[in-house]
Amino acid sequence: MSIDVLPILSTLRRHRLTATLLVLQIALTCAIVCNATFLIGDRLSRMLMPSGIPEEQLMRITVSDIGARGDVHARTVTDLAALRRVAGVDAVTVGNSLPFGSSSWTSGLRLDKAQKSPSIDVGLFYGEGLSDVLGLRLVAGRRFTPDEYVWVDDHVTRRAAGANVAMVTSALAKRLFPEGSALGRQVVIGTDTMRIVGIIDRLAAASVSARDDLNDTVVLPWRMIPAYGGGYFIRARPERAARVLADAVAALKAVDPRRVVVEARLYPEIRARYFATDRAMALTLGVVSMALLVVTALGIVGLASFWVGQRRRQIGIRRALGARRADILRYFQTENFLLASMGIVLGMVLAYGVNLILMRQYELPRLPLLYLPVGAVALWILGQVAVLAPALRAASVPPVVATRG
Amino acid sequence: MLKMTHLAKVYRTEVVETYALRDFNIDVKEGEFVAVTGPSGSGKTTFLTIAGLLETFTGGQYHLDGVEVSQLDDNARSRIRNEKIGFIFQAFNLIPDLNVFDNVEVPLRYRGMKAAERKQRIMDALERVGLASRAKHYPAELSGGQQQRVAIARALAGSPRLLLADEPTGNLDTQMARGVMELLEEIHREGATIVMVTHDPELAARAQRNVHVIDGQVVDLAEEPRFHAHAHVAHS
Repeated sequence: MSIDVLPILSTLRRHRLTATLLVLQIALTCAIVCNATFLIGDRLSRMLMPSGIPEEQLMRITVSDIGARGDVHARTVTDLAALRRVAGVDAVTVGNSLPFGSSSWTSGLRLDKAQKSPSIDVGLFYGEGLSDVLGLRLVAGRRFTPDEYVWVDDHVTRRAAGANVAMVTSALAKRLFPEGSALGRQVVIGTDTMRIVGIIDRLAAASVSARDDLNDTVVLPWRMIPAYGGGYFIRARPERAARVLADAVAALKAVDPRRVVVEARLYPEIRARYFATDRAMALTLGVVSMALLVVTALGIVGLASFWVGQRRRQIGIRRALGARRADILRYFQTENFLLASMGIVLGMVLAYGVNLILMRQYELPRLPLLYLPVGAVALWILGQVAVLAPALRAASVPPVVATRG
Repeated sequence: MLKMTHLAKVYRTEVVETYALRDFNIDVKEGEFVAVTGPSGSGKTTFLTIAGLLETFTGGQYHLDGVEVSQLDDNARSRIRNEKIGFIFQAFNLIPDLNVFDNVEVPLRYRGMKAAERKQRIMDALERVGLASRAKHYPAELSGGQQQRVAIARALAGSPRLLLADEPTGNLDTQMARGVMELLEEIHREGATIVMVTHDPELAARAQRNVHVIDGQVVDLAEEPRFHAHAHVAHS
């Protein structure tokens, strides 16, 4: 059977206004949904970024002291001893940052002291035994030895000199020294020259702006203190984590009942809070896209239903002249396919244009071309599904309508 | 060509049964030009819709070109309508969104005919009715008589075995009606079988044979063939 493309186009030309409105609606939907889907995908992939730590086993408690702090080092040691006595605690330290933990410590990294501007900005992690608490996997070199650690406040105020060693992630090592091993190489972090003694598999930064910078992180042998904004990082078995968290808070309060517990959270909650904006954005875009698709589908159903009603006699005439029900069904499906195709072609141009604007105004990445054919297929399917019910109604018009109207 | 035996058509509602046709018998031979006449509501159009396989019937038998049609499914009925029957309706029934060429093309497309053959047949049919120059015009741009000629061209383009006409001049003025009737007579002389429903006695008189329908039944099948003077002259 011959496809009625030319006569359908001829008919659509006679109903130019309504056809154009539907084409524009499909085009706009195509443009917005393509970009929205891309943005949703972008946000979801951000939310799925690996942290490199055993998330289900970790928790963080931050406290604030009221009044004189006294000997902050002794206080920290006491607190850590109290926390180690809590049943279920596998490891504990005071650390400065957690991956996606919002509280971010960064510094410029140079390969040479003579270098004026940093090669790269890196996220800094420290805390005695941090690599054990965070379960960091060593892929080359060694971890820090106990004698290499120095209190962070002593280091900052130059009361004590550190061992000037560092561990870096394998991604950062390759980035800094693509030609060979980073072990034993020196880098300048801030004003300190550090020798790389260990390479860890991965450790996501506390705050990530660009995906490529995710593992640009360095671990330093500094003992952290709560007074510098550090938190107690505790590791426990996942099934005991909630209980351990409550007991750990109680243990800290027992050491000093006057202290204020600012935060006591399991890591999954910390991570969820970090990505809350991404989740909200993805959800909003998803809802808007779905609403747009539903409105477009309803537009197709509405127009197709209107045309079926308007053309009832024509359908009867076609049936009288030999059209089978399948021919009528195919007529309306072909008509919708043509309208959708026009909308999709226009929509793709619009999608590209909208993406250009988003790139310029909001520094978003370029829309991958793959999204365009995927969007096109989705809209074709949407159109065919939406038109099915009206088309089936059209196909059920009996041929006798040609004589009786 | 067309034979109905004890045919019945009943419209049923929950409370009442209405017989549109009852014990309806007719036998139209190949090459005949038969006029079916009768008052309004007598069942003429019901007969024509059943004859054209536009509607099913309730009882009896109907043989069309030797085929008993009651057991045919919808697709088979569509195929017979497309290949064997040409329809001419009182209201022309052209598709307003299609031009003359595309209107005539509609049944040929459903036959799966190749484009070159379709074009040839369409132009031949339009030549035949004198409207080849109007191929790109839309129905609304034509007079009633011209529209009916396009409908006739559409019916002829498929080379049907049977032409069914439902009040073909009912919507035309006298002059246009005469032109359409002459065209039908010409088509008949070339061998087509025509069954024409009309309530116009003058038009019926120009057919080869009249069948009168009252209350859903044929009341006089034995009427002698009558030839109109014009047709007679043309045959001689």
